[in-house]
Amino acid sequence: MATTTATTHQTKWWSGGKSPFNLEYGKLMMWYFLMSDAFTFGAFLISYGTIRFSQNFWPDPNAVFNAFPGAGHANLPLAFVSVMTFILIISSVTMVLAVHAGHNGDRKGVIKWIAWTIVGGLAFLGCQAWEWHHLITGEHATLIDGQIQLVGQTTTVNPWGPLVDPAVATEAMRNSSTNTLARIVHEHDHTKSMKDLMGMSKDQLLGMINVADMHIRAKGPVAFGGYFYGITGFHGFHVFSGVIINLVMLVMAQKGVFDRKGHYLMIEKAGLYWHFVDLVWVFVFLCFYLI
Amino acid sequence: MSESIHIHPGSTAHDAVHDDHHHGHHEQSFISKYIFSQDHKTIGKQFLITGIIWAIIGGLFSVLFRLQLGYPDQSFPILETFFGHWAEGGTIKPEFYYALVTMHGTVLVFFVLTAGLSGTFANLLIPLQVGARDMASPFMNMLSYWFFFMASIVMIASLFIHTGPASGGWTVYPPLSALGQASEGSKLGMDLWIVAMALFVVSSLLGGLNYIATILNMRTKGMSMTRLPLTIWALFFTAVLGVLSFPVLFSGLLLLLFDRNLGTSFYLSDIVVGTDILPNEGGSAILFQHLFWFLGHPEVYIILLPAMGMVSEILSVNARKPIFGYMAMLGSLFAIAILAFLVWAHHMFVTGLNPFLGSVFVLLTLLIAVPSAIKVFNWLTTLWRGNIRLFPSTLFAIGFVSLFISGGLTGIFLGNSTIDIHLHDTMFVVAHFHIVMGVASMFGMFAGVYHWFPKMFGRYLNSTLGYIHFWVTMIGSYLIFWPMHYEGLAGMPRRYLDKSIWKSFNQFGDLDKMITVVSIIVFAVQLMFVFNFFYSIFKGRKVTTTNPWGANTLEWTTPINPGHGNWTGEIPEVHRWAYDYGKDGREFIPQTEPVGANESKH
Amino acid sequence: MDQHKLASPEMTFQHHTDDAEFKKRVKKTTILLSVITVIELAIGLIIYTMHKGESPSEFLILVFKGVVCILTLAKAYYIVSVFMHLGDEIRNMIMTIVVPLLLFIWFIAAFILDGNSYKNLRNEFDPYFKESTMPKKHHANEAEKVPAHKSEKE
Repeated sequence: MATTTATTHQTKWWSGGKSPFNLEYGKLMMWYFLMSDAFTFGAFLISYGTIRFSQNFWPDPNAVFNAFPGAGHANLPLAFVSVMTFILIISSVTMVLAVHAGHNGDRKGVIKWIAWTIVGGLAFLGCQAWEWHHLITGEHATLIDGQIQLVGQTTTVNPWGPLVDPAVATEAMRNSSTNTLARIVHEHDHTKSMKDLMGMSKDQLLGMINVADMHIRAKGPVAFGGYFYGITGFHGFHVFSGVIINLVMLVMAQKGVFDRKGHYLMIEKAGLYWHFVDLVWVFVFLCFYLI
Repeated sequence: MSESIHIHPGSTAHDAVHDDHHHGHHEQSFISKYIFSQDHKTIGKQFLITGIIWAIIGGLFSVLFRLQLGYPDQSFPILETFFGHWAEGGTIKPEFYYALVTMHGTVLVFFVLTAGLSGTFANLLIPLQVGARDMASPFMNMLSYWFFFMASIVMIASLFIHTGPASGGWTVYPPLSALGQASEGSKLGMDLWIVAMALFVVSSLLGGLNYIATILNMRTKGMSMTRLPLTIWALFFTAVLGVLSFPVLFSGLLLLLFDRNLGTSFYLSDIVVGTDILPNEGGSAILFQHLFWFLGHPEVYIILLPAMGMVSEILSVNARKPIFGYMAMLGSLFAIAILAFLVWAHHMFVTGLNPFLGSVFVLLTLLIAVPSAIKVFNWLTTLWRGNIRLFPSTLFAIGFVSLFISGGLTGIFLGNSTIDIHLHDTMFVVAHFHIVMGVASMFGMFAGVYHWFPKMFGRYLNSTLGYIHFWVTMIGSYLIFWPMHYEGLAGMPRRYLDKSIWKSFNQFGDLDKMITVVSIIVFAVQLMFVFNFFYSIFKGRKVTTTNPWGANTLEWTTPINPGHGNWTGEIPEVHRWAYDYGKDGREFIPQTEPVGANESKH
Repeated sequence: MDQHKLASPEMTFQHHTDDAEFKKRVKKTTILLSVITVIELAIGLIIYTMHKGESPSEFLILVFKGVVCILTLAKAYYIVSVFMHLGDEIRNMIMTIVVPLLLFIWFIAAFILDGNSYKNLRNEFDPYFKESTMPKKHHANEAEKVPAHKSEKE
């Protein structure tokens, strides 16, 4: 601001014939578009908050998001999402540098930094794909209708409800199918093949399960999955479109389109969009993973 | 001045490379001139004509369901001829009735009074009145229309599918709208409704961003914000409302789409259909209503503000007096725009909303009376002792003020949550919002069409037909909607197909017949207006002077039939506000005239 | 031609900061954002261990969550102000962005309050809802403590 105030009092910004904000219309529109988009995301996150406040129980994010690629069953709450967060922050920084290179008319710099930003975006999308896959295909022993079932986090079922009293869980184990019991045993003890386990009787299997250690949970609020996939999906869609926009920018910069135009304002607008995607993530991170 | 540049005001010199291949020359093919036009005036006309077509469809729907309401026991064989199994034996089937009511609301609120009204006049007037060659981005402006067109196509398509269009009311509350089992209209028709509305949101966003950027960035020299005509201010706030509230509807509808197709439970919980217990749990139907009305309430101002702006302008021009209290008008527009965002839950007093929260919403809602009253008094004082020229446009503008007063007063009843317990979902509500928002905004739109028709087409509308149009519509509107207040106070519910089983409502049988007859007459008169409109485009009396109404604003400094770029020479500079009428013994002083040395201050 | 004065010299697309100074600022902001994120993660882990503890203080957890929210707003501020250069724009421009955002206050407050009220209403009038969703307290000794260690194996 300090840079502009020097001219402000001499210039009648609002008297017409010029932009009152010293901005070309495209950038102005991009800003107001982002405002609008902020209300889209705001509405999503606020709906999520509303539903969360209307429930007696809500899953503890640290219990849900505690996996890390390649770490097996290790309990690492917040670890993977912090990697994702840093990827986005870093890609935001590379975008700033790309915009800055644009200001200086430095084509090579623009290309370099935009390319890194695209890499960051793709890495983030990759992380998200892994996380979704992990959550959907995960098998969590959950008490459903008096039985234990192995379910993942989907839009219709949530395995992260309140903990079930071990006595109740043991009872439910008895009602469960042999297949389920065999899979539960198999998950904790890889020495026996599924085929062997399936051959065993229910009582044998039950004897191999320590219900007290399993911390069986009841079903949790279904909306959790819907909102998680809905909002991170919508955010991911923004990241994806940001990557596409950046790819277009990359090609245009490569072809020298901006040099012919004499300015890199397009990069600046793409940059605004990219930072906004990062900004939204900051709030998604807050709402889903931290609180 | 070079040909290639003056056409495209949106561009900075930087963008010149990019623009050349869009607008290098004047030779335009039919397609680029009339179909995929980037000229804001053509786009405005496209919005207007599409809006008129929609208005005929939406109006026809209301006539059809009024037939049912006025003559519940009678059959009209002609209906079966046209609508087949929807009106077997000439009586309207319940599914058809609900589809008609729903589509009437959707079409009139969104496609006519949002796109048709602010789409038309924002496009036509913003560049002309702020002194710009075109919108900031003519290309996005064109896209805005074509997204609207696509939304229209999808919505029209939904009318012709086997299960019929959406029929859960224009507010599409779940669970009715979320479950295909709930009704015929909640099947494919509802999905198409959501898709059409999503396209509509995109259109409104593209348009709105353009309007804001143009008004802020493209004002001609001397056109400071406080010299803008009130039309522009109203359209500006309209655009802001749209940009900030439509995305919330978009989010809400996206979640609804998920509930419908992906089995999520955002809005659904504890539902039994027949003997089926649905697996959905944990959702909240009230949440949807919150999301819907967070758009829905600003939406009524999106509809109303452009009408207010045009009425202010037209009243001042035709009373030959400066608008009374320009800054107060501006301030009240601003206040209304802010309050529009804060009061949405007054549509939800009886849904299970927290009563304490409801009382806060009552307070905020009643605050709207303040800026509304300011505006009404200013319009009346503008007319007071004016040298009024009673053109059809003036009459419609005065009609707007009348309707706004009588509809606004009933808003005070409904804004109180305690009274709303009795009045909600009755015909009283129907009467209230039709008068204050529906018909009033239509009047604003008519006023605008009569006033700016010469600018749009270089010809006048026929005044005699205009006077008939006004008086029949004016009297008809009151005859239609005034009695509904009594029905509503007596507890008659809205949206019901047949109320004849309630003895207490039998007393209103004849009243309902009268309403139906009048609405048919009023509808016929609107068709007469449509005839006048299209006839006058080709055969109307030609405009011979650039400034037929003796108005001050910039659009009347352009040629009678302005080309793309609006002014042939330089864009005029502005030296004064838009309302110097009857000043220093002169009838009007255009904005372009420099302030004289001995001129009195206003 | 008037309109093209838009691109007049006073139109400053560049922000008058020299290279070194700008890079320094970006570096500073990056570090700041990273540090805030690390603090947030730390608080997240504190909340996690508190949940595991004997009798977690609801109040303290709420305080920590509040702190995380404020830190997030700080992060948002730096992203918007430095990375998106909003801080370098004319004051009026900043206002057109910031003022409409104030709508979020009432947007959030009203929605959340009503969500909360919906819960209370159902707990009062819908015994099934209360029975089926309220975490069981009666086996508090068992159920509350066991959750503590549960996730380790998951």
